[in-house]
Amino acid sequence: MAMNRRDFLKVGAGASGSLMLSLSLPGCAGLPTGYEEETGEWRPDAWLEITRDDRIYFTLARVEMGQGTYTGLTTLIAEELEVAPEAIEPRFAPVADEYKNPLYKLQLTGGSTSLATSWEPLRTAGAEAREMLVRAAAGVWRVDAAECSASEGRVVHPNGIDSMRYGQLVELASKEILRGDVALKPAAEWKYIGKQNRRLDARAKSTGTAAYGIDVSLPDMVYAVVTRSPRYGGKVQSFNGDEVRAMAGVLEVMEIERGVAIVADKYWRARKAQEALKVQWDFSGALGLSTPEVFETYRKAADEDAGESERSEGDTDSVLANADKVVEAQYSQPYLAHATLEPMNATAWYRNNHMEVWAPTQAPDLGRIAVARVTDLAPDEVTINTTFLGGGFGRRLTQDYIEEAAAVAFRMDRPVKVIWSREEDTRQDLYRPAMLHRMRAGVNKGELSGWDHQIVGPQILNWYVRNAGPAQFPWTPRFLYDTLGKVGVWAEGIATPKDISAIEGAIEYPYQVANIDIRHTHIDPGVPITWWRSVGYSHNGFAVETFMDELAHEAGQDPYRFRRRLLVHEPRHREVLDRAARLGGWDTPVPEGRARGIALMRSFGTYVAQVVEAGLENGLIRVYKVAAAVDCGQVVNPAIVVDQIEGGILFGLTAALYGEITLEQGEVQQSNFHDYPLMRQYERPEVEVEIVDSTETPTGVGEPGVPPVIPALGNALFALTGKRQRTLPLKAEA
Amino acid sequence: MALRLTVNGETHSLDIEADTPLLWVLRDELGLPGTKFGCGAGLCGACTVHLNGQPVRSCSTPVEMADNGEVTTIEGLGSGDRLHALQQAWIDHGVPQCGYCQSGQIMSAAHLLANTPSPDRDEIVAAMTGNLCRCGTYSRIIAAVESVVAGEKPAQEEA
Repeated sequence: MAMNRRDFLKVGAGASGSLMLSLSLPGCAGLPTGYEEETGEWRPDAWLEITRDDRIYFTLARVEMGQGTYTGLTTLIAEELEVAPEAIEPRFAPVADEYKNPLYKLQLTGGSTSLATSWEPLRTAGAEAREMLVRAAAGVWRVDAAECSASEGRVVHPNGIDSMRYGQLVELASKEILRGDVALKPAAEWKYIGKQNRRLDARAKSTGTAAYGIDVSLPDMVYAVVTRSPRYGGKVQSFNGDEVRAMAGVLEVMEIERGVAIVADKYWRARKAQEALKVQWDFSGALGLSTPEVFETYRKAADEDAGESERSEGDTDSVLANADKVVEAQYSQPYLAHATLEPMNATAWYRNNHMEVWAPTQAPDLGRIAVARVTDLAPDEVTINTTFLGGGFGRRLTQDYIEEAAAVAFRMDRPVKVIWSREEDTRQDLYRPAMLHRMRAGVNKGELSGWDHQIVGPQILNWYVRNAGPAQFPWTPRFLYDTLGKVGVWAEGIATPKDISAIEGAIEYPYQVANIDIRHTHIDPGVPITWWRSVGYSHNGFAVETFMDELAHEAGQDPYRFRRRLLVHEPRHREVLDRAARLGGWDTPVPEGRARGIALMRSFGTYVAQVVEAGLENGLIRVYKVAAAVDCGQVVNPAIVVDQIEGGILFGLTAALYGEITLEQGEVQQSNFHDYPLMRQYERPEVEVEIVDSTETPTGVGEPGVPPVIPALGNALFALTGKRQRTLPLKAEA
Repeated sequence: MALRLTVNGETHSLDIEADTPLLWVLRDELGLPGTKFGCGAGLCGACTVHLNGQPVRSCSTPVEMADNGEVTTIEGLGSGDRLHALQQAWIDHGVPQCGYCQSGQIMSAAHLLANTPSPDRDEIVAAMTGNLCRCGTYSRIIAAVESVVAGEKPAQEEA
């Protein structure tokens, strides 16, 4: 039974906090495919377009926010189409059913799922187009298609000399009808998968020409800034609109659902006018909590409610009651902001009863709903154009910034760009939830006999269904949007998959212990939350892997070997653990004044172990080295895998060393990079990444670098100081 | 306020409020969006440009300070179609992830190399420490700068 549960979890682990209603929609309008005589364009499917003059366009349905879909997914289609990835021009996808993420039934990019969910479909799309081109050429030459080959954008005659360009063949190819499956290339014949090392977007991003949302420019465009309640949930009571309206450049001052918007001819004038804006807020329904109360609430909830059982094996309670020794620990983690370097922004233009939006969004179909929600428009009267994203990390799965731009543009006769300040971006974020963990374990003669983990805190689904529910049923009348959201929550685990955002990383506990009890005490203090790079793994990873370290010390064993012995049936975990230990020099002497810590976490299907070497310098924590071993199945782009793991490590270290959003009577206390710092160049540790050679189905790498580094650093500091830190961020003087 | 600004070799006459940050003038008045808005407080370096040969945070530089000045942005760093050696190195080393900070990173690195042709590792790190990257591309940035210092791409260099 236990294995069944584990296997199920492995399958479901990609769907953290997803809302996947069981019905699937009939295709709406459907995208046009086929050949267009006039333009000479052939669209064999929803992804590819090949033109008479040999241009190849690929519609990229997973947004590019740094994680590398622009290169990685293009490589998949290029491999089978037999062209270099550089020969293909990716275009960002419009909203269409064809582009939905099959794991979520929504058109969203998240959960490190892009490569895994595109692996088969995109290679198949490339192979089918190639096959049609080959058959078209064979028909012209009157030879057997099986004797022809494709290479570098041409079909080659069996004589090996004659060839035809794809562009010459598109019209004929469009008439070919494929029956049955086209075989995909065997791995031995891959030219780009596993070898492609370049990024296709590097040039645009090194010359200032890559267009992000904030760079959108339209004729007669005006700028808007929005003053929002300093406490979440506050409502506008009154404001000095006339006074502000008289200021230079100000065109309009208007109340919208989320606050007061000032529209001006220039961004800076809107900002200056905002300084003069005085809003009286009604805080009667607003958040009033301070951070200590959040944890107070959690502790009380933990005392009163043992929580819903999320995994139960053996009889943990009685084993712990009879253990030689019971070890207990309580861990806590703060709220965290996303701090994408491109602040939230969106541009909207309302004309001819249609709203067109340009935005850096991770979920354009949710953006459509967000627009419909604040206007009179139906979702099909809304077009969302996606741009490059200056970072995402989960923040841009929520469409509040699109809502604002649409609400303002709906009342203007010109395009409007809304730009958030850094301070607004920090204070009006939706955060990685603060969490509390209570752990107990039994140790009998140095052996781990029972494991008990109580996770205390909110789950993300409740904050996400608002637009996700309607996005799956876009014909729903607007007045039912909220109902649909509520149904999504109510039906969780029945008609919708279970939201594992709070428990992922805990329920997959990989170590072989006979008695396991994992529970979630669901408590939501009302602070807005959402996904944050690596989601539940970001906090459960710290709790599980720090407690494992504590238990190793309790048992008098080496933390690496203590883990290793409990991974007998988990070869992929063990392999990355061994490799990280080797790479990090676990058994070699550590330089004076430093210590090493180790941690392991499988997240989003990818296995990552890390060894951190850290010390204290001038009263500050200093991370010298991080060695990481990663098993993400078949690698498509080795350079991007290394970059994502390294980027995840720096993201995790930033959280471990600095990350903390605090509330005082409902108001977020941090505002900009001086009080919500990011790791800087001079603090960068040396990072080494080793990738396990594998032919397993590829899994994502955007997030899995983050979780292990936080406990690995804490464990290193314990090894250095003998003091255990159970609260994040970590301190130099514990 | 009426002012004159030479940006990437082209002179512009503008009439704009004196306290407008140079960043928004470049982006919205002159149509050069390669310079990015990150923090508005000179803390992240995404808006770095060269003003009279010095790197400045354009988000917190009032445009009046640039009056009669010469500004170079990422768009004007190379010459014509030719990339600056650092830009080529950025591409060769696959530095950008989301890419949003990279204009500022490259402008900081370009100033360093213009004044210190052979910086050592510590000098590079010190010069680049004012530029934040949320994606964590720091090690590739160092590798790219060092490759230019080592003259790995001399053919691309254009004064």
